[in-house]
Amino acid sequence: MNILVLIKQVPDTEAKINVAGGKVSEAGIKWIISPYDEIALEEAIRIKEKSGGTVTAICVGDDSVQQSIRTAYAMGADNGIHIKHDSYQMLDAFGIAEAIAKAIEGQDYQVILAGRQGSDSDNGQVPLILATLKDWGVVSFAKKVEIAGDKAIVTAEAEGGEAVYESSLPVVITANAGLNEPRYPSLKGIMASKKKPIESKNLNDLGVTPNARVEVLGFEPPPPRPPGRIIDGADAAAKAKELARSLREEIKVI
Amino acid sequence: MLDLFNPTDDHKSLRELAADIGANLLEPQAKEHDQKEKFNEKLMREFGSKYSLFGITVPADFGGHGLDAVAAVIVHEELSRFDPAFTLSYLAHEVLFVNNVFHSSGNALRNKYIPPALDGKAICGMGMSEPAAGTDVLGMKTRAEKKGDRYILNGVKQWITNAECGDAFLVYARTNEKDRRAISSFIVERSFKGFSVGKKEEKMGMKQSPTGQLVLEDCEVPAENLVGEEGGALLHMMRNLEIERLTLAAMAIGIARRALSEMIRYAAHEREAFGKKLAEFGQIQQLIAESYARYRASRALVYETALRVNPDSRESLSAAAAKLSATQMAEYVTRCAIQVFGGNGYTRDYPLERLNRDAILLSIGGGTNEAMQKNIMKDLAALESFHS
Repeated sequence: MNILVLIKQVPDTEAKINVAGGKVSEAGIKWIISPYDEIALEEAIRIKEKSGGTVTAICVGDDSVQQSIRTAYAMGADNGIHIKHDSYQMLDAFGIAEAIAKAIEGQDYQVILAGRQGSDSDNGQVPLILATLKDWGVVSFAKKVEIAGDKAIVTAEAEGGEAVYESSLPVVITANAGLNEPRYPSLKGIMASKKKPIESKNLNDLGVTPNARVEVLGFEPPPPRPPGRIIDGADAAAKAKELARSLREEIKVI
Repeated sequence: MLDLFNPTDDHKSLRELAADIGANLLEPQAKEHDQKEKFNEKLMREFGSKYSLFGITVPADFGGHGLDAVAAVIVHEELSRFDPAFTLSYLAHEVLFVNNVFHSSGNALRNKYIPPALDGKAICGMGMSEPAAGTDVLGMKTRAEKKGDRYILNGVKQWITNAECGDAFLVYARTNEKDRRAISSFIVERSFKGFSVGKKEEKMGMKQSPTGQLVLEDCEVPAENLVGEEGGALLHMMRNLEIERLTLAAMAIGIARRALSEMIRYAAHEREAFGKKLAEFGQIQQLIAESYARYRASRALVYETALRVNPDSRESLSAAAAKLSATQMAEYVTRCAIQVFGGNGYTRDYPLERLNRDAILLSIGGGTNEAMQKNIMKDLAALESFHS
């Protein structure tokens, strides 16, 4: 079975994000595969190790995202597709899903795995739009995935519990935290990944016109946290009384 | 600009992987294994089976990575930031056995012993020192006598890292009683008749890494387990001591780097005294700034030496200087870090006392600092002129 994994390259979740002139400054940022996408990739590799087939990682972005495709190779992906687009931050989820749909036209994937959302923009749209464009089923927030013959059995998070879905193939599945613990690549995998080819296509090649339905007007850093305030009082009871008064009369939350 | 510490993209990738594995797999187990004096054998085997971190200096044709001494330094530096004791056992396997056996053996021994060592099926080590012969290595008493198709080895090897769990060891033994320099190398398996392991040492530091004796009593070693030529061990020793000293120095760099990052965070961002950050006090500035300057100097020396060290030429002077400089520096820096942390530094709530205990071994193992001083003087005196 052939599996496609959507990976997005994002700033390291521990990176300090600086915003200047309405744009995210990319200086000094370490780039990684979005953690949920890494879980999706791990799941795809495990399915392949168990049942055979191939894993293809696909990533949209400028040339720097080839680094994430190489990381996917190092972990165990067989093929990589790079959809080259320099100002991908301004491409909306529909544009990305459309480009991916075009790039995989005529290819035989039974499962598309992706993270539940990118850890940078948190939109969680691309896999769903892609499923719609392909007219495939989609199961989100998977905690457990089993491929049995021609169907997928997916346990997913549901309000207050779990839901188990059975889907025909092909299907799009989005990965939640807890689905697996992604592996560290081996040194052999890393060295071999540097030599593997990456198929690169741009939007023109794919016949996609970037026609954003959502326009990003700008980025703003969150406002700085106001300083804390120490409640004065003669003893604990007096401090509690002052705290309650302040919460009710000044901040008006109780 | 040349990046001395990451000369190629491969070096950079290796550093990132080793740092990731160090932070995520070594760090969480370091304190517990130190306290229990217990070796994490499972993780060591996974270094081969899962992460392929053995065979850094072994050519790709033999299943290794075909990288150089700089790469070996990178791995030891990064891992030692998190668990120097685990890294010491890694070194005994990877440098003292794998690197040494590969460069000193013919293909028959390579094909037999390198693959299981690379994939973590075998954990290995090396036996050079003896109870009465440490720095005076040529004074070793272990002897090997050829009888038919085997050598019979008798003697005791002391301070052997991985003795407790090792499956095979490279062992040096005398093959001619009359010639002090007639020493040969053998591969001795744990299962060989006459092989046993003596007492496990209780050490001040490096507690996770098991240290013990190898006892050879009429130990029967097949003649084909002679490494290279009979009497050829001196070259094996000299060649391997260089990269051993270099990687021990790299461990000192990793230890110091961790101690520095701890004390900078603590003094500049966390701890206050008299209403000011610790870093605002001149005495603390002295401890941290001195540590930083000495760390930077040693690190540059170690990496510059790594560029020179290779199996085909000798570089003993540089390797001795790198080890002498880096190990003294690491003892100094870890001691300063304890002082910056005050009472906290003396407790096991912080890694500093452990790093300090571990650092001291590096001034002793692989040749004491006194031996380095002796070797440096000897090599300097033999120079026709002093250039650099």
